[in-house]
Amino acid sequence: MQKYELMAIIANSLDAKAAEKHAKDLDGRVEKEFNGKITFSDFWGERGFAYKINKQKWGYYHVSQFNMEADQAQGLRHELNLDNDLVRFMITKVDPKAPLPRKYADMKKEYEAQEKAKADEKAPAEESKAPAKKEKLTTIKEEEPAAPKATEKPKDDVDKKLDAIVDEASDI
Amino acid sequence: MPPRPKKFIDPFVLAGIEYIDYKDPKLLAQYITYYRSIQSRFHTGTSLKNQKQLASSVKKARQMALLPYVRYE
Repeated sequence: MQKYELMAIIANSLDAKAAEKHAKDLDGRVEKEFNGKITFSDFWGERGFAYKINKQKWGYYHVSQFNMEADQAQGLRHELNLDNDLVRFMITKVDPKAPLPRKYADMKKEYEAQEKAKADEKAPAEESKAPAKKEKLTTIKEEEPAAPKATEKPKDDVDKKLDAIVDEASDI
Repeated sequence: MPPRPKKFIDPFVLAGIEYIDYKDPKLLAQYITYYRSIQSRFHTGTSLKNQKQLASSVKKARQMALLPYVRYE
């Protein structure tokens, strides 16, 4: 007997419920047709691909571990190749010393908690920066009214010069 | 890219990870470079035993579209 792990990607043309049912059927077929004993089964649900497969961007993932005779594994591989609802699958030998894998939902929660903790650490640092920005805004507002006064003076000068030039031209 | 430690200490030993699982793409993503190739032992300080396990699990994760082969853009 060997310990195997099957990871299968089910096509996104199915509903979530239909995909879950398909995953359960896979486990059932392993037990009935190939005399396997399932020790671990986990339906991940929707997950995006790291790259496009058959022009699709996401699929349903399913993972299960089972004990099976070595000659049966080849038959299972052949059978799964004929399944049109599977985008891709992989059957690997599992190290007998390896612990049971974590459930995907637990793994996701753990990483979300870690990301939250990181965001909380960053948040107080941003608050200390915020008041400094407000001071800058007030200084800019004070400068704005002063600027137009400066531009008004040259306008008068230009008008006077223009008048002078026109007068000279009329003299000629 | 994690900074190179002064002494070579295996990060998996520090974290208490005995079995590197290919189904954990966030863990594996720490050990691949900007262009998504596997980081060398020189830079991360992993032991030879763990580096072999890491490489095989990264390759499995790539097959199942959990990790990319290359960086696009």
